[in-house]
Amino acid sequence: MSETITGSEAGGVAPPASGPWPIELDDVTVRYPNGVVALKNVSLSIAAGEMVAVVGLSGSGKSTMIRTVNGLVQPTGGRVTVGPHAVSELRGRALREARGDIGMIFQAFNLADRASVFHNALVGRFAHMPTWRTMLGLASAEDRDMVMRSLDSVGMLEKVWHRAGALSGGQKQRVAIARALSQEPAVMLADEPVASLDPPTAHAVMADLEDINASRGLTVLVNLHLMDLARQYTTRMIGLRAGEVVFDGPAATATDADFEAIYGRPVQARDRLGE
Amino acid sequence: MTGASSLATAERVARIPARPRTWPRTLGVVGVLAVLTALTATPALGGVEIDLGAIAKNWTNGADRIAQMLTPDLSVLPRTWQPLLETLQMAVVGAAISAALAIPLSMWAARPTNPRTPTRMAVRFVLNMIRAVPDLVYATILVAMVGVGALPGVITLVLFDVGIVVKLVSEAIDSADSAYMEAGRAAGGTQTQINRLTALPQTWPAYVSQVLYSLELNVRISAILGLVGAGGIGRLIDEMRGFYRYDALSTIVLEILIVVVFIELASNILRKRLR
Repeated sequence: MSETITGSEAGGVAPPASGPWPIELDDVTVRYPNGVVALKNVSLSIAAGEMVAVVGLSGSGKSTMIRTVNGLVQPTGGRVTVGPHAVSELRGRALREARGDIGMIFQAFNLADRASVFHNALVGRFAHMPTWRTMLGLASAEDRDMVMRSLDSVGMLEKVWHRAGALSGGQKQRVAIARALSQEPAVMLADEPVASLDPPTAHAVMADLEDINASRGLTVLVNLHLMDLARQYTTRMIGLRAGEVVFDGPAATATDADFEAIYGRPVQARDRLGE
Repeated sequence: MTGASSLATAERVARIPARPRTWPRTLGVVGVLAVLTALTATPALGGVEIDLGAIAKNWTNGADRIAQMLTPDLSVLPRTWQPLLETLQMAVVGAAISAALAIPLSMWAARPTNPRTPTRMAVRFVLNMIRAVPDLVYATILVAMVGVGALPGVITLVLFDVGIVVKLVSEAIDSADSAYMEAGRAAGGTQTQINRLTALPQTWPAYVSQVLYSLELNVRISAILGLVGAGGIGRLIDEMRGFYRYDALSTIVLEILIVVVFIELASNILRKRLR
């Protein structure tokens, strides 16, 4: 990727990623320094443009797995590849460039509450922006335009100069989605994106992700612990239990018995979000 | 029933663990403190000489001074304006310079904004050294180095302010929630970009509050820096003391008191508005 830099600015300006990318996990193991093995020899192949749910209880390793895809967690064994990037082998600048092509949203939104909606979404332009521009607070016209377009696409344009901390939970998550879209990513990761939201808002955010997959054609990998959301919004489901893949198949036809195998216990009312 | 329940109570009483005995330790600590106090106040054993009789012996002298101080000589006021203004200028310039230096230093001294342990430890070590030296020692040495006047006073205040502002602000960064950093990293940002665009606005209230606090301290400190020749109203205090003009001295002390109270009120109002 690095040899194809064509931006008009000098230094650290990567072109937007081209098209959706596949994600490959090859025999990935993550052992934390405290000895906990969060992932055990996980091998997965996600095709470009797929919408995949990773389902499991808390502690099953799904947060760790999604973080190996953009290198926030580096595997202690195995290989992770996203499109042209061998993420698990990258460090420093090359890793930052790869991350710039991979958007991510979080359960707790991870916004800087005291900064404006605009500046939070501008975080998504980091990989496309030379450091001096960030230091001086001077976004290029291109960066501004991309941020405004992303905010508009999630219906948050009119709040652009509001403080992020003053927004509701659903609005915060939409700003976080706009931040990820500002990256012009090829892949979108979502770590329990609706676990902090009320049911109607949760459905709206899942619909946003569905739309990102359908209309922009991005590969979407979303962590969930609720079975009905996985069935309704995704096409393929991967079940994780104690760091191992215990299910991999179509989400819509996954039975309650399949979920019981993933959860390791009978299905309960709290495993569904409802309407 | 009552028999059974009282039996259960007796059984529970038997299971209550023995309360740990703490009085021997308390007695030990109090005893050690008492012995240390006695030792340090006994000149025969190398302790300091505390001659309470001196208060009685010099009482007439002391009463005389107090009587003089209770009748402030306001005729000295016109001579105080210029040095008082210099004291305030030193306080403001010192606070402003240290505020500018404290922004990057605070970021380098806190773990979330500087995950690299060696550079963080180096910055913290240097700042601990700077804080360890008393302000009057800085002023005395600097007067010898750069000469009598406001300059050594300003440098002293800068060193003092940087020490406390960086310590308090970096501790505020350390203890604050920094989940937003993960989003910046996931977007491919460098630590510098993340600090500038998100950590800075998040830290702003703590930073402004500590800078205002350092301004308050500066007015008080710069009032006495003149005693060693480092400019400001302290020079006048030294002069009046030399001439035993305690009536003029009390006028100056009252003047400083009024200025300090006024600045504290103003900075309290500003700090409240920040929150």
